[in-house]
Amino acid sequence: MKTSFVFSGSGGQGIMSAGITLAQTAMRMGKHATYLPEYGPEQRGGSAKCTVVISDDPIVSPLPRRCDNLIVMNNLAYNKFEEDLKPDGLLLCNASLVSEPRQRDNITVISAAVDDLAEELGNAKAANIVLLGILIGATGIVSEEAFLQSLEDKFKAKTPGILQLNVAALKKGISIGKPYRA
Amino acid sequence: MAEYKRSTMIADAPSGYCPGCLHSLATRLVSDVLDELGQGDNSLNVISVGCSALNILYWNGDFCSVAHGRAPAAATGIKRTNPERLVFAYQGDGDLCAIGLAEIMSAANRGENFTVIFANNQTYGMTGGQMAPTTLIGQKTTTTVYGRDPHSTGYPMKMCELISTLEAPVYVARFALNSPKGVREARAGIKKAFQAQMQGRGFTFVELLTNCPTNWHMTPLQTLDYMNTNTIPYFKPGVYKDITE
Amino acid sequence: MSEKRFMKGNEAIAEAAVRAGCRFFAGYPITPQNEIPEYLSWRLPEVGGAFVQGESEIASVNMVYGAAAMGTRAMTSSSGPGISLKAEGISYLASAMLPALIVNISRGGPGLGSIQPAQSDYLQATKALGHGGFHAMVFAPNSAQEAVDLVYEAWEYAERDRNPVMVLMDGCLGNIMEEVELPPMKKLTDEDLPEWSLTRRNGRDYQGNITPIYTEPILEGINTMAGEMYKAWEEEDVKAESFLVDDAEYVVVAYGIASRVAKEAIMALREEGFKVGMIRPITVFPYPKKLIHDLDYSRVKGIIDIEMTIPAQMREDIELQVAERCPVYEYGRSGGCLLDDEGVYDAIKAIVTGGAD
Repeated sequence: MKTSFVFSGSGGQGIMSAGITLAQTAMRMGKHATYLPEYGPEQRGGSAKCTVVISDDPIVSPLPRRCDNLIVMNNLAYNKFEEDLKPDGLLLCNASLVSEPRQRDNITVISAAVDDLAEELGNAKAANIVLLGILIGATGIVSEEAFLQSLEDKFKAKTPGILQLNVAALKKGISIGKPYRA
Repeated sequence: MAEYKRSTMIADAPSGYCPGCLHSLATRLVSDVLDELGQGDNSLNVISVGCSALNILYWNGDFCSVAHGRAPAAATGIKRTNPERLVFAYQGDGDLCAIGLAEIMSAANRGENFTVIFANNQTYGMTGGQMAPTTLIGQKTTTTVYGRDPHSTGYPMKMCELISTLEAPVYVARFALNSPKGVREARAGIKKAFQAQMQGRGFTFVELLTNCPTNWHMTPLQTLDYMNTNTIPYFKPGVYKDITE
Repeated sequence: MSEKRFMKGNEAIAEAAVRAGCRFFAGYPITPQNEIPEYLSWRLPEVGGAFVQGESEIASVNMVYGAAAMGTRAMTSSSGPGISLKAEGISYLASAMLPALIVNISRGGPGLGSIQPAQSDYLQATKALGHGGFHAMVFAPNSAQEAVDLVYEAWEYAERDRNPVMVLMDGCLGNIMEEVELPPMKKLTDEDLPEWSLTRRNGRDYQGNITPIYTEPILEGINTMAGEMYKAWEEEDVKAESFLVDDAEYVVVAYGIASRVAKEAIMALREEGFKVGMIRPITVFPYPKKLIHDLDYSRVKGIIDIEMTIPAQMREDIELQVAERCPVYEYGRSGGCLLDDEGVYDAIKAIVTGGAD
């Protein structure tokens, strides 16, 4: 079973970090994963995109044309990559910045105001983790436990509150995503 | 009266330099100082491109011959990996201040702990006497047949003055090899630079004003006079920076 | 003892180099290879090595020249535009017979081109890395793991041959993160320092010299020896992978990232019954000539050259071996537009079903 994810938005929205953490978590669970970032030339505010492939078998091509899951953080990313989503894929939108995602084919659309949700939890920077929580809740691609372990590794050296904030963000996201689980 | 002996660093082979060329005196000074400091075997001569490359023919110590202008870069790789060695680059003026300007300024700015001996004869000797960045105003060369015109070619580049503006270098000095006094001072300057390197103090730079009887179209004696009346007034000898103490 | 890590290709190369005994790096920033110098800037000092951020690619490769002359395992890395600048120094390394590793994480070209990945430096890497008619062995891994394995062995070849080695990858492989198993740290001592080198840590007590300039009869001898060395590489050092070639009617030839995308497409085509296989050069110099030459052309109906550059650069190497015994097709993306599995699938299928040439 091979599943592909495209995360896209603008620089600074935690796109790359979300992709890496997901891939690392899959590897932690004994799966195979590739993470491929694509940057624009800008250091700030440019477009950011990464492709993650997760599979039970070693990954041959890390460059799928179309993805099973598309995660878009703003309108620009949505318009640019929407057609790369497979007909029965999952579209996950940051409703805080993506105005009106179009329903097409048999795709599942989840639209959540992750910027606002993260801000309510204490820091808008955790929006990418809320988003990952939704993705994990909806797809079950990695387990909550394994992802919590990744968060712990990622944030253990930082200020104490940061880890708790991200754990809360993850749980919030999972609660939103779970009802969509096929 | 001291006995005049062949330096151990110079092989019993023809130097390849033209009669009256001060390059051979310059390398002789370097080799004498290495002998005096007992550093012959420990020294490493980074040989550049141009007449300075003729060192290959008769240098008796370890040497590494490198690309045109890149001696300070190669010396960086050498000294960083083998800091126990006494490393010096021997470069001419085309090599050092035209094609190798970035390398010399950057090595000096990093304060690399090696010594650059800079032989400045104001021309490209080996390729047949073309204009160098150091060629004097009005001086005739094969690419400035009516004399160097500053309006199209700029002015002779003063490397000691430039390098001494940097923070890192610890010793920057210029000597003229056209007089016994200048030769004695140059020898002392080279020794000071090598000693500073042995003490790990940082980048040292010794410029030696030399001549080119062949491409200046003069007898060797005429070149010494020319240096007094033309070269030395523009490229003033002296110690430009010394923070070795 | 080996260990598994989820690592970026560039960082995996850097760590593999350290474990292979590399103790000197000089380089200049250029996308998409910056993680290599960034990683080595802190990692090399940890193991007693030296890192220098050079003032240019030209200076950097010459710093490597100096370090290599001392017998130190030294490397530099860059991307297309910077490799062009290093060309002078690489030629001098070959002339002075100095071992060193040059890594090219290539991008779109020519000129400043694009910072996005592309396989646009094949001809430069395999035909003329600099002036004067010399070659370096060129490894073209297709994964972070294979990059680790080849970098780990690079100096064994470089020191055996006293010649630089290049690792040629593209920005995808440099920036991809995947699982790698890292080899143990090679333990090298002063006694391992080459006899010809200018260090005296190996106990050498006679004069030594390194030079890239020779007088006439000596240089001709050196050129002749180099020619014999290149021939020996072809006999002994070619590395390549054959995938489902035995019954293949169409054979894809692809290296590096292109080979991974092509393999995925071939697997899909096989499921539909199309007899497609692949030859993947791992060394692009020496080239796996024999594998392509010895194909059974009574069965093989076409060769398909797939590269992430337009026009295909490997095509002439392929055509020389095919010798007009079947058609040679090419498909590629270029200029920072990436190959993808469906695009390659469509292209191969069109050729196999006769819908394209």
